[in-house]
Amino acid sequence: MAMANKKDEEGSSPSNDFDPCPICLGPFRDDAYLDRCFHKFCYSCIVSWSKFVANQHSQRQLSLKCPLCKTDNFSVVYGCNGDSFERYYLNQESSEKNFFSRDHKYRLRCYYREPGAIYEKFNIQQYWRFSRYLQPNKWLHLWLRREIQALIQEEDVEIIVHHILGVIESFAKMNETGRSKGTPETKREEFKKLVSDAARPFLVGRADRFASEIELFLSSGMNIEAYDKVYLQSLGISSGDGAESNIQDQTPAVPYLHFFDNDSDTD
Amino acid sequence: MQASRARLFKEYKEVQREKAVDPEIQLICDDSNIFKWTALIKGPSETPYEGGVFQLALVVPEQYPLQPPQVRFLTKIFHPNVHFKSGEICLDILKTAWSPAWTLQSVCRAIIALMAHPEPDSPLNCDSGNLLRSGDIRGYQSMARMYTRLAAMPKKG
Repeated sequence: MAMANKKDEEGSSPSNDFDPCPICLGPFRDDAYLDRCFHKFCYSCIVSWSKFVANQHSQRQLSLKCPLCKTDNFSVVYGCNGDSFERYYLNQESSEKNFFSRDHKYRLRCYYREPGAIYEKFNIQQYWRFSRYLQPNKWLHLWLRREIQALIQEEDVEIIVHHILGVIESFAKMNETGRSKGTPETKREEFKKLVSDAARPFLVGRADRFASEIELFLSSGMNIEAYDKVYLQSLGISSGDGAESNIQDQTPAVPYLHFFDNDSDTD
Repeated sequence: MQASRARLFKEYKEVQREKAVDPEIQLICDDSNIFKWTALIKGPSETPYEGGVFQLALVVPEQYPLQPPQVRFLTKIFHPNVHFKSGEICLDILKTAWSPAWTLQSVCRAIIALMAHPEPDSPLNCDSGNLLRSGDIRGYQSMARMYTRLAAMPKKG
């Protein structure tokens, strides 16, 4: 939808049917609706307004008056993709969720998609055959923190990160001393089982996929930035300029394209 | 800061485009600072301000549009909700009832509406408020008309 608006604006003379976000007056980025009156805003616009209002009052605000019609609303509905949507409740602590960046969002989105082409990109077999898991990965800590933050949408996840890191390190140690015998395949199975078991109390249904994603990241041997780039590419999303977003927008399988392109509304 | 600048720029473009559409309001952006604007508004007809052109100064905060612009009359005006000396305006949408969906243009429209519908119960100009509250409509109108003629109309001859 955001694209359609942009096209309108660029195309014929700025026409009257161009319908901008009432707050930024630009095309909608990440459509968000208030839950009572259904007025539409950019997600970031309506959330920053709600935070601004909350900061002006000493008491916690339970609702937000719609900037357009003054109806009391209790949540912002966003991320509608036909199958699901997300909700931002207006009565939460104002500082909450600030940590949740675009990168978190993309990581979380990955879990809503089938593990696809990206799994062909890196040579996972080789990772196990050459026992590369014996070498520590210095980016793993940061990567894990972001991954877990994205999945459980909490900022302070250090305890879980340490727990998972501990499991991975002890797995490496065990194999180093040669106490555990087995083919690369059995090691692989063992690793994934250990990690998903360790993660299950926190991530529940996503624990298995989480283990696969860790494996994938480790096999890549890349730092986080490079890895994200490759991952986004394989999803058909470029983190680069908005010119490509035209093609992407026609692929309905990829929600949230607009999180990745820079503000292309440069007119 | 960046958000406010981007939005002001959009308003600027809108103003350029709409100029002919709303002949009551002329919004002018400062040459060097997009956070400083001047507006010329026409006094609404069938009010003592009719025929006058009033100049407003709008100062836009960095937090705009989360925060309202500061608006005051540069042209002297006799109106219960405008401070006679400073030009300060008492209008809820410029204070507590502000919403980010307002624009500089719609703020000017609201001020024109306030000129036509004074609120004598929350006066910044007590003389004007008292005239209205005591029912001396003629007194209020002739004072307001006099100041419109003195300050908001081109000097004759």
